[in-house]
Amino acid sequence: MKNKTNQIALIYVLISIFLAIVSHKLLPKHLSFTDFSSYIFINDILFILVSGILIKYLLYKNDIKNSSVFKKLKKSNDEIKESNERYDIVAKATSDTIWDWKIEEDRLLWNKGIEGVFGYKQDQVGKSSKWWFENIHPEDSIKMSIKLYSFIEQKTEKWQDQYRFKCADGTYKYVLDRGFILKDEEGKVVRMIGAIQDITKQKEEEQRLKLLETVITQTKDSVIITQADLNDGEIPKIIYVNPAFSVMSGYSSDEIVGKSPDLFIGQNSDSQEYEKLINAIKNKEECQVETINYTKNKEEYWVSFSMLPVNNSDGELSHWVSIQRDITDEKKQEIEKEQLIRELTQNNKDLQQFSYITSHNLRAPLSNLTGLLSLIEDIPIDNQELRAVLDGFNKSTNLLNETINDLVKVIVIKDNPSIQKEDVQLKEVFENVFSQLDFLIGLHKPIIKIDFEKVKFLNTNKAYLESILLNLLTNAIKYRSEKHQSKITISANKVHNDVVMIFKDNGIGIDLLRNKDKIFGLYQRFHDYPDSKGLGLYLVKSQIETMGGTISIESEVNIGTTFTLTFKNK
Amino acid sequence: MLDTILCIDDDPITLMLCKMVITKASFSNEIATARNGEEALNYFNTLKNTNSDGESKRLPQLIFLDLNMPVMGGWEFLDCFCSDDYSDYNHIKTIILSSTIDPEDLKRSKKYPMVIDFLSKPISKEMLEYVKIKINSTP
Repeated sequence: MKNKTNQIALIYVLISIFLAIVSHKLLPKHLSFTDFSSYIFINDILFILVSGILIKYLLYKNDIKNSSVFKKLKKSNDEIKESNERYDIVAKATSDTIWDWKIEEDRLLWNKGIEGVFGYKQDQVGKSSKWWFENIHPEDSIKMSIKLYSFIEQKTEKWQDQYRFKCADGTYKYVLDRGFILKDEEGKVVRMIGAIQDITKQKEEEQRLKLLETVITQTKDSVIITQADLNDGEIPKIIYVNPAFSVMSGYSSDEIVGKSPDLFIGQNSDSQEYEKLINAIKNKEECQVETINYTKNKEEYWVSFSMLPVNNSDGELSHWVSIQRDITDEKKQEIEKEQLIRELTQNNKDLQQFSYITSHNLRAPLSNLTGLLSLIEDIPIDNQELRAVLDGFNKSTNLLNETINDLVKVIVIKDNPSIQKEDVQLKEVFENVFSQLDFLIGLHKPIIKIDFEKVKFLNTNKAYLESILLNLLTNAIKYRSEKHQSKITISANKVHNDVVMIFKDNGIGIDLLRNKDKIFGLYQRFHDYPDSKGLGLYLVKSQIETMGGTISIESEVNIGTTFTLTFKNK
Repeated sequence: MLDTILCIDDDPITLMLCKMVITKASFSNEIATARNGEEALNYFNTLKNTNSDGESKRLPQLIFLDLNMPVMGGWEFLDCFCSDDYSDYNHIKTIILSSTIDPEDLKRSKKYPMVIDFLSKPISKEMLEYVKIKINSTP
């Protein structure tokens, strides 16, 4: 510019001198000497006019130049303004924190994000990179700064790192920092600008997912994820398997991805279960089957194979998840158990047959004995000795008969775990029992009180109930106390869904301290009385328990006995 | 008092007992016996062949049948007896007299229409009274 102004001035001076010389030379030729003052005047006016035109021309040219420069400047100014505005808005809109580091001077500027994201007020923010590095988590700072400086050394364009940055309140946030470097003409790194993104949420989510993933990768159960669609009637193709799968099946992940689980089926696989599975897949329902699968080496193993549909966010079926468990051991045990049960049941049946046959073979001759003995009753016998012998014969045979009959009853009870129940009227059953014990009652005349007002009916097996009551009443009368009149009370009460019957007598009682465990046992007697086989209570207990009820006893020697029977009234 | 009864049992003592009790109770005039199902069927065969003979055995009005017998047991006898060969005779009322306790046997006895009851040994006067009432009441 200086040169230009010098140039213009020089040109102007030169032209003026030229003009001056020209007019000095020309004018004397056209004008006389005496017009000296007018000559000078004309010269000056001429000079002024020419100068004026020249100046205007020069100024005009300058003006144009200036206005075009001005326009250019304005345009670029506007662009800069717009760009600045954009930056401001973006800086506001983005949650990123933007930093600008002038490396030589070590000046680091932050945008508003430093306050918005990390909570630092203007006065808390440092001016240099020192402040930045100080706020990086100690575990991350060394690694991060090494990476950063080596990046700067190498002068590569872009840099990116993850670390933890301290907020104003002392907590740390996970951040993703990306930066660009700016070089000067000599290629030296002079400036770096970057953006920090708060990725705490993502990081936490990542860690949560990693934890969940370990469930799948570490579990001993095999997990398969497949596509959604049936593939030509085969189970959908596999897209993922977990490590446990490879252990169980012998196939590695690469070998099996993209193939259908149909591969595992072999000779002994259950085709019905396979059909069941295919149908469930067609209907998009979950399903569980048990079948035999084959490993890569064609070894068999029992597997429990479950298939669960998985829907995507639109609610459509996107995948199937299948969980398999090797149940070979369990199956083996099951088979063994079933075998055992079959054998036991057969054994039981055989034993039962045996007992039926045996009892029959015992009863046949016994019935003869009984018949013959009853005939003897009608034959008059004078010989005392013979009569006594026959008497003993009679008694023993009767006892034998009764024992066998009772045993037979026991076998029948044990054979029938489920028996018919009906609604029986308690009073009616009792009247029946009384009539059967007519003789005994007439002989000993006990006072019998019955109270069935609260429970008139009972849903139970009539024959068993009768047998139980017969037994208990017989006992009560047989084992009455000689010292006072026998008193027997029988009452029934409803307790929730059960009927509780209380059978109380004031007879000789039983020493429970000595005999508590044996009281309901087989062939147990607790006294010296004759006519006792020790089967009655055993029978009663068997019968009531077959019906789902219970019996308990309270007794004191010489005071009496109370039986509490609980019947299920359903 | 019935005219003729047939007792089918393999045990001679049981047969003796039956005879004695029936006689004592004046239940029947004649008591025929058979040792097993086959003998019983032969009895009826002979009946068929000798019709109007004065010495012929008379048609029994009641049969006491045991179940466990050698050669031909009670069930086999009943199966044969219910066939058309014995259509003249298989209306005769039969009482099964056995010492079995198997409830299956009781169930099975109900399948034969000629069996009117199932009683346990030993036979007794009271049992005969009961039977008398029963045969008089059932058609």
